[in-house]
Amino acid sequence: MTNRHLIKMVNNIGKFLISVLVLSVLVFTLSRLAPGDPLYAYYGERVEKMSVEEQDQARERLGLQAPLFTQYVRWLQRAVHGDFGISYQYKTDVKEVIAAGIVNTLLLGGLGFVLIFALALFLGLFCAWREDRLADRVVCRIGTVTSCIPEFWLSLLLLLIFSVWLDWLPSSGAYAAGGGGSLPDRAAHLVLPLSVVVLGHLWYYAFQVRNRLLEEVRADYVLLARMKGLSGRRVLYRHCLRGALPSYLSMMAIALPHILGGTYVVETVFSYPGIGKLAYESARYQDYNLLMVVSLLTGTLVILCNLTARLVNERIDPRMGVRSVSAGGEVRRL
Amino acid sequence: MKKKFPVISLLTLTAIVILGLACSPMMTKDPLYMDLAHCNEAPGKEFLFGTDEMGRDIFSMIWYGGRISLTVGFLAALISTMLAVLVGSVSGCASARIDGVLMRLTELILSVPGLLLTVSLQAVFGRADVYSLSVVIGLTGWMGMAKVVRTEVVQLGNTDFVLAAKCLGGRFFHVLFRHLAPNLFPSVLFMAVMHVRNAIVAEAALSFMGLGLPVEVVSWGSMLSLAERALFSHAWWIIVIPGMFLTGTLLCLTNLGEYMRGSANKRHSNLG
Repeated sequence: MTNRHLIKMVNNIGKFLISVLVLSVLVFTLSRLAPGDPLYAYYGERVEKMSVEEQDQARERLGLQAPLFTQYVRWLQRAVHGDFGISYQYKTDVKEVIAAGIVNTLLLGGLGFVLIFALALFLGLFCAWREDRLADRVVCRIGTVTSCIPEFWLSLLLLLIFSVWLDWLPSSGAYAAGGGGSLPDRAAHLVLPLSVVVLGHLWYYAFQVRNRLLEEVRADYVLLARMKGLSGRRVLYRHCLRGALPSYLSMMAIALPHILGGTYVVETVFSYPGIGKLAYESARYQDYNLLMVVSLLTGTLVILCNLTARLVNERIDPRMGVRSVSAGGEVRRL
Repeated sequence: MKKKFPVISLLTLTAIVILGLACSPMMTKDPLYMDLAHCNEAPGKEFLFGTDEMGRDIFSMIWYGGRISLTVGFLAALISTMLAVLVGSVSGCASARIDGVLMRLTELILSVPGLLLTVSLQAVFGRADVYSLSVVIGLTGWMGMAKVVRTEVVQLGNTDFVLAAKCLGGRFFHVLFRHLAPNLFPSVLFMAVMHVRNAIVAEAALSFMGLGLPVEVVSWGSMLSLAERALFSHAWWIIVIPGMFLTGTLLCLTNLGEYMRGSANKRHSNLG
């Protein structure tokens, strides 16, 4: 590793850490802007029966009386040591609450992510191969319609059809109550939410793959390869696909936090115990400590993935690095 | 290939807008009147689309609700498009330092979970109504578009015809209005239409989850907030009908937007 690489790496890590720090300040302030009372998250309805002194004492105990800045510094000091406090609602360590949810969300979002991108590549290739013919047009039309269905309504429809009318699949949770969560049981609970996640995102990415490939197909090297006698199929799979790969990979990197973080609607409708549902509950009921960690997790993921996307691009296509330098530096516009 | 103009989409959308605007004299039923003798009634002669669990007539709610959903959509899209064009073009034209600061800021806001941003912004405005919700959705949805606008401005700024215009002595505003704005317009228009669509979805999803408009303000989203209880009472019309109108509107908007983007692939494929 040369000196230049080392500097670049340190530079990137530094930028990443600063972004996370600023993000934590922002989330901290934002979460406290909401006028709701975190005591409700902790004590529930009992708050109404508490006297003013008792409420003040409770706030003091939770460290909510101090000025905002002091609260933040205190939080940061603990967080650096790995102590994120307790969740007001669940009364246990935030890390435990998160750990329980993260597995479920990774299962739902991760599986969804893999399925979405596998299918998007397949559909994109198929449509590009059959450009403007009947098959392409039919797929495009169906794709546009599915991409217009709001996720929460699709969830409701699937619930109505498959768990209310047909009674084939369970309507909520990640596993049957009491049951240990055997594999078929978990799979049955996963089918509906997973379908919504996949259907909700699939066409957006498949359409981009298709359009990217259609650009590639118009390049001169395709004509050359065809003239040399290679079959159209081979050119598409071997040459055009390779040309479209950088955008496919950076699309994947940018999509990851979007898909993982976007599961909260689905998780809420299906009462699926994942990070998304925790995010929704903690934002709504001012469960500050939990909200901080959930937000930082998703925010960090966004920052990391954006960074990865840029690095992947520069690695695969060295021109990208040059371009971003020139866009910020010597070649001036206007 | 040249794209066909989406006549059906435009007609459908116009019909929904007109019926939404003209609904007050036409509807025989008040969308807010709770006819407690007819709760959860299936679609029939008297209640064309049935009634919800509070006995409100869904047929008239659809039109009144559509008016509100579309208003929120257009207002929010207007706000976010203006912000995005402003930030994007300033960032694309300004010096590298200002550009860097603006883009860092945009990316930072982009990395705050959207849900948190929406909830705390809404909290600043207090109780959600049509206007505050539009502002909240508009303020949380401009970042992606700003980045695209910036990229396009930078790319346009580097083209030869802009260089030529500048060499011929064109001033900043001349270049801006005669060369940059006309070239930027189609893609901005496309994104603006897509933002209307996104804002309508956002309103519906937020109201559905109880974070947006309350049940007594009728919109397609707040109508669907009754859906989870409707699931148990098998009242499919409460779920299916507002959702179909919602999806239909979104589809029409998408088709219109795609048409405005114009045909990107004018050249013939080399593959065939």
